[in-house]
Formats: sequence, structure tokens, C-alpha cells
Amino acid sequence: MSTTVEAARYGSGKAVRRIEDPALVRGAGQFTDDLKRAGQTHLVFLRSPHAHAVIKGVDKSAALALPGVLAVYSGADLVAAGVKPMGNAVPFPRPDGKPGASATRFPIAVDRVRFVGEAVAAVIADSREAAMNGAEAVMVDFEDLPSVTDALQAIRPGAPVLCEQAPDNIASEMKHGDAAAADAAFKRAAHVVSLDIVNQRLAPASMEPRVVLAEPDAASGRLTVTLSSQMPTAVRDGIATALPGLSKEQVRVRVGDVGGGFGMKTGLYPEDIVVAHAARTLGRPVKWCAQRLEEFSASSHGRDLVTKAELALDANGKVLALRTRSYANVGGYAMTVGVVIQLLIGPWVSTSVYDIPAISLHLTAVMTNTTPTGAYRGAGRPEAIYVIERLMDAAAREMKIDGAELRRRNMIRPEQMPYKNPMGQTYDVGQFEKMLDQGLALADWKGFEARRAASKAKGRLRGRGIATFLEWTGGNALSEVVTVNVLPEGIVELTVATMPMGQGINTSLAQLAVDVFGVPLEQIRVVHGDTDRANGFGSAGSRSLFTGGAAVQVASERTIEQAKNLAGEALEASSRDIEYRAGRFTIAGTDRGIGLFELAAKQPTARITADGDATAGAPSWPNACHICEVEVDPDTGAVEIAAYASVNDIGRVVSPTIVRGQIEGGAVQGIGQALCEAVAYDRDSGQLLTASFMDYALPHADGFRGFKTVFDTSVPCTTNLLGVKGVGELGTIGATPAVVNAVVDALAAAGLGRDAEKVQMPLTASTVWRALQRDFDRPDWG
Amino acid sequence: MTSLRIQVNGQSVDTDVAPTTLLIDLLRGPLGLTGTHQGCDTAQCGACTVLIDGQAVKSCSLLALQAQGRAVTTVEGLARGDTMHPLQEAFIACHGLQCGFCTPGMMMSACGLLRQVPQPSDAQIADALEGNLCRCTGYVNIVAAVQQAAQTLAATGEKA
Repeated sequence: MSTTVEAARYGSGKAVRRIEDPALVRGAGQFTDDLKRAGQTHLVFLRSPHAHAVIKGVDKSAALALPGVLAVYSGADLVAAGVKPMGNAVPFPRPDGKPGASATRFPIAVDRVRFVGEAVAAVIADSREAAMNGAEAVMVDFEDLPSVTDALQAIRPGAPVLCEQAPDNIASEMKHGDAAAADAAFKRAAHVVSLDIVNQRLAPASMEPRVVLAEPDAASGRLTVTLSSQMPTAVRDGIATALPGLSKEQVRVRVGDVGGGFGMKTGLYPEDIVVAHAARTLGRPVKWCAQRLEEFSASSHGRDLVTKAELALDANGKVLALRTRSYANVGGYAMTVGVVIQLLIGPWVSTSVYDIPAISLHLTAVMTNTTPTGAYRGAGRPEAIYVIERLMDAAAREMKIDGAELRRRNMIRPEQMPYKNPMGQTYDVGQFEKMLDQGLALADWKGFEARRAASKAKGRLRGRGIATFLEWTGGNALSEVVTVNVLPEGIVELTVATMPMGQGINTSLAQLAVDVFGVPLEQIRVVHGDTDRANGFGSAGSRSLFTGGAAVQVASERTIEQAKNLAGEALEASSRDIEYRAGRFTIAGTDRGIGLFELAAKQPTARITADGDATAGAPSWPNACHICEVEVDPDTGAVEIAAYASVNDIGRVVSPTIVRGQIEGGAVQGIGQALCEAVAYDRDSGQLLTASFMDYALPHADGFRGFKTVFDTSVPCTTNLLGVKGVGELGTIGATPAVVNAVVDALAAAGLGRDAEKVQMPLTASTVWRALQRDFDRPDWG
Repeated sequence: MTSLRIQVNGQSVDTDVAPTTLLIDLLRGPLGLTGTHQGCDTAQCGACTVLIDGQAVKSCSLLALQAQGRAVTTVEGLARGDTMHPLQEAFIACHGLQCGFCTPGMMMSACGLLRQVPQPSDAQIADALEGNLCRCTGYVNIVAAVQQAAQTLAATGEKA
């Protein structure tokens, strides 16, 4: 078999075996906790059991007296050592016009704790057991303060205050759109629907907890930090900024395998700084491995947005305006990312695939005694799409129009592209009605009543839900650089700054390199996770393929062009006469030639090297139609997914197997939010109630497996080289509204009518059963 | 310290362990078998699942000494030399893994099932994997992979 035929089987568009997999299935992955260094010490954090308290003192003496304990740090110790607090600019002003506010977040709390799980001391010892014993022996004198964990409670007068600059607990606020135009539209509207919508707090819950290993090198003064992260460069820069007398060049961040990220492993964490500081101070390798309890209490949470949402429509069902008032609970410290996600990124897609002329969005970021929020798969778009898709169904019910038909009447048409939405975001392409039509066919929309009757005959309440939607991808970080090295041992090595974290990006990048080099996939090696070799934004916001993949193509083509010159020299011919095909250069029209890898061996550096960079012109806008059918058991309230069909416009597909895995696996995360997941705090004590997998309900294997998933590749993205659209978050965004709309439909048809719309996620059996008795939890607007 | 004699992946191991040492810490630490993962502290995630005398157990919930005299199989012991176990082949072929962190535990639970029930239904597979959490795949392809492995084993007459 020739290499060309072989390579053609593995290039873009082909279903391949992932290059990540052989090591992972053999248990030979390189997760951070798998590393063990000579002289390695272990760090354990003592964390606050209080939601809100003053730290009056930290007595380290008993801990320091224990065998094996090497050091104990309080927050004050780190300040005295010159360790800086987390850099954190709160974007957008407060309602009083003053700058956005947050209490300063120190790597270890200094004089006050603001959420259960905030670190109050770090103990380093010879063994993990000794460090745990040490943490138990640290005596912290807490003075308990009243706490508040709910955003609507926190903005009330007299609520406990987290930050002096924000006596109302408001970190910042944003208003979008044209309030006057929207209000006028509501006045003349034939129909108005209004919903209270709670998008509950979630725990990203990657299966691999966070782990950080820091190793100092006395000779060079450098510090190597290995950790589980989606953004090595941000961690490098953050550690260099936080630690005194350390430059970026003196920090090397390495990332091996990442056991799931979902946005939670983006950016710098306080723990990263503490572990790095300890290693530098002690002159020994220091490892911290988060317990699951710490993951639930101290890793970023996602979502947590409560909204009063209204839609104005004319007599024909054309939407005239969208008006929302939202409060985002951003936790004990208003982190930049957490605020931006809710106050800006979500609103960017608030009108979704619909041509809505007027919007008025008012969003407030509120601080409470809960874990700070950050990115979680979808990051703002799930919240916004959930709002508009719930409203669409409510409007359809109000007007007694089919939900699909109402959506169709409002969709942006292909001839309106490029389309600038009311938030100023421009969609390059999109054929939303085409996705809707295919979705309806795939789900057999017309056959629903027969299935509902069949369910009824079994004593089940069947419901149907639809979501037509788009999403913004790219994180507004649209450039990547890739280095190619052709090595004599027969390897084309790609050095990248994007990060695999389960999504299989290295396989997709390798397939793109196969397209250019025409060598088998096994001859492509991808080097990632080393800031000494490549730097960039990292992997988040479904950006990696359309930025990093484009850079792979550019760098690969540049390598071939450069190698043609070298081949010309080697073959004593003009480079213009050199042709390249499947790993071999030849002089056109002759059989004289030289192999790619042989040519590399002849070079003074024993390699052929080229860099390539690519910048996408704009975000990509993947979009889809997801349709779900559920069956509800009226005796127990238990919800079962009965059918799930989706048609997804994701542009060109490089790795079909991976794309399907992203959409369906992502959909199950969205189903998790719809049906079972929620972070819960005790209202009085502020205690985290969902601190283990026993209390926080992740979807299990006995869930749904009958996905019908279709890709529509006929509408390539026009603003990146590859024509691809980001696909990492699409399934998660669509599944939540599709499932909830289906349950609401089942309840409405069971006699609840529009009252069914009062139900809030997660739709556990008890919530649904109570809804059937017309008992609802409603947001307390005060 | 107490002396411990066990078999790990077919090799006899003689060592001394503290009475408080968990099996997972013995495997990942002194024995260097880092394919067995720890994803929680409360025996719910299943990433640490291994076989003891052919039965799937969570190695985070067992003292090393409880395995005294018994045969432990970890993910590193699944392959037969360079030849991957049908479960490993099937997990790759069916895209039954994404980040791969839960995968060793998933495969060991599945292996335990297939030893008892060589031709399981999808429902039996889902039931057997009830103690194993995956955040990436949505389980769709995991169940398919276990089915495929069962079929391969049936076709070749091998035992899981």
C-alpha cells in the first residue's frame, strides 16, 4: 500500500482512531498526579468551614511540631513574603458609577474568608498524610459573620456585606440595547409573555481533580510548574506576576494529560501560586492534589443566573422585543471571567438565530458567600439561549402556534447574512431554517401525537421540546502560532499552544497535517503543554481547531515550500522544478528525488523547521436544531428522555468521530443541568451541601443512549482558513432548553397549561412531581 | 508495617505496608501503577476500579492488607503483551473515551461484568457501570464499546 493511499485514509474528514487513545487505554497516560519526583513534598490546604468569618489569628505551632511537617503558611505569611494577591480587574462599573468592585482575593485568605472552602493555611510535609495531620493541627480563630448565598437576598438592604466598596454587594452592572425602543415595542405588542428563569449553579466536575507540581532548579533559578490546565501560558504569566522577583522567563509551565477541563481549568488559581511559592521557598518539589471535596468547594462554579424575561410579539407571532432583568451570583470574589461571561458574553447571543429588532437587557453581578464563578462549558451562551428558547415556547403556547412554526417566523434568513445582531455581533453565515427543517424531519415532528397517545396508554406523560440556536465561539482569541519540525526519524512534529483535555484536538491537528504532508497519521507527533516551546491563549471557547488547526495548515504548507528549496539544493535543481507528494520531493518529469525525512537528515540542524501563524477574522457561529422527547411518570415525577435528535451546522468537519462525541457527550452535560445537577448551599449557614458525588448528581450510565445526530457541513465558516466552526460547547447549550421545554410541554398537556412554565431546573423527580401538584419553587424577588 | 503478599497483574509482590495504606496508594505509589486513578474520596467515581480475584472493586475503599493472598488486576494488566485486550480495542474503536481519566476504571468494571456475564444486555452494562462516572462521553459510546468487546470475545472464544 502506498503512503498516499494510507495517508488519504487518515486526513481531514475521515473517521480515525485518536492518537491520544493507545496510551490512555493502557493506563500509560501522563496525568499530573502520575508524576513523582525525588525529594517531593506534599502540600495540603486547610480550608474555611465558614461561609463568612473574620480570621482573628492562625496558630501554626502545633502543626509545625508534628513529625514530617516542613512549613505552614497563613495568608499573612504570604503577604509578608511579598506574594501578591490574584490580579483581578472587575469589568464594567457599579450602578453608582464607581468602578466594578470585589474584595481582594489573596492566594490564602488574610483577614477574612468569604466562602466555604477558601484556603486559610497551607501545610507542606514529607508525606501527604503528615501534611493532612498538620492541616488538622493548625488552629484558626474564626469570628463567624452572617452570610448570604443567594443573589436576590444579597442585594436587599441589611444583607451581609462582602466588600466595603460594594455596600449593596453589587460588583458591577451592564445595560444593553435600547430600553426606550424595547419599552415602546412592549406597549404596542399584541402578545407579551413573561417568565421567571433560574439557571442554577453547577459544578464543572472534571473527573481528574486539579493537581499542581512545582519544582525549583537551584542552578538556573527557574521554576517548573506542571499542572492540569487548559491555559499554560496564563498560568506562567500569573505565577510570575504573583511571586516576587520572578520573571516570566524563569517559569516553565508544563501540562501532560488533562482529565477534563470544561472551562474550569482555565486561568490561574490561588493554589497554583501557593504551590509555586512553597517550592521556591523550600527549594524542593511540592505537589498538591485536590480532594474531590476541594474540587466542589474551591474550583470555579458555573452558571447561577436568575432572570425575569419578557418577549413582545405582534399578532402574527413576529417578535418585536426582548426584555430581561438578570442577577448573576458571581460568588465571594467577583472574578473578571465570571463577570464577563454573564454580563457580556451571554448577551452577545441573546437574540440567537432570530431577527429581533429591539432588546433591553439589564444584568447585575452580585457577590455572595459562595465559590467564585468562572467558565463552564458554554459560559454565558447556555444561560442566554435557555432564556430565549423558554420564551419562544411560552409565546407559542400563549398564541396557540406550533413552537417550530413560531421559531420559523422569526428566523434570520440566509439573504440577511452577514447579519449584525442587536449586540453588534456579526454572523458571517447561517441557514437556520434549513437546520430546523432537517431537525423536524429527523425527529418526526409530525408523528408526535401518535407517540404521545402511545405513552398515555402506558400511563406516561409525553412531552416534546425544541431548541433552535447558535453560539459564539473563539474566546475572542483568534490567533495561533504552530511550529513544524521534520525530524530524520520519520516524524513530523507539531508544537502547539492549544491543549488537549479530552476533546482530541491533537488528533484533529494531526489530520490537518496529514492533508499537507501526505504521510500516515502515525508519523505526525503533536507536542503540547510546554511554555518553553509554545505560548498562546490555550484551549477554551471552542477555539482550538479554527485557530490552531488553521495555523497547522499554514505552518505545514510553509514547511513544504521551504523544503522545496532545500530539495532543490540537494538535487541540484531549481526549486521551481521540485514537486512534493506523499513524503517525497522529485524533479518534475524525472524519477530523481529525495524523501522528506532523508532531506531533513541532510540539514545542518538535522531537521526542517518552519513556523506558521493564522488569525481568524471573526468568531465562528455554529448553530443547530435540537429536539427532545421525554416521558414523565405522573406517579413519581421521574423524567426519562425518550428521543433526542439534532442537526448541527458546524461547517467543515475534520474529525467526524470526535465531533459526534463532542455533540453527544456535550448534550449529556446539558441534560445533566436540565434534570439532575445543582450546587446547593444551606441558606442559614452558607454551608456547601453538595460537596461530594453522593450529593451532586452527575448523569450516570443508565441515562439515555438513543441519540440521532446529524451534521450539516454545507455552510462553511467564511472567516477562518479551514471553514470549520467550534463544536465543543454546542451540544451542552442546546440540550438544556430542549429537555426542559419537553418536560414543560408534558406538564402543560397534563393539565397545568401555562402554569407548567413555572417549573425550574433541575427537573428531578421530586420537583416534577411537586409541579404536577402545582407546587413550585419560585425566585424570591422581594 | 505488616508484610503483604499479593499477585499484581500476574506477578507475585512481597512488600511491607502500613495497616492504614489503601490499595490504591500501594498501586500508584510503591508499585508505580499509575493507570489506576483517584477521582474522588468517597468511592463514587470508580476511576480507581481494579479486579480482585476477577471481581471489580474500588481500590480507594480497600486496605492493601485486605488483598492479602489475592490476585489484583489493574488496567496495566489488561493487555496481553503488545496485544490490547478487546475492551481496550473497543474503547478506541467506539470513541468510548475522551479525556481518558475514568477509562481504566470503566474498563475494569466492564471486565468484571464480562467475566460474570459474557453476553450482557445494554441495561446490564449500564447497571454494571453505575459506580463509574464519566463527564465527557455521555456514556453512549462506552456502552457500545463494552458490547463490541463482548462480541469480540464471543467470536474468539476468549475469556474477558
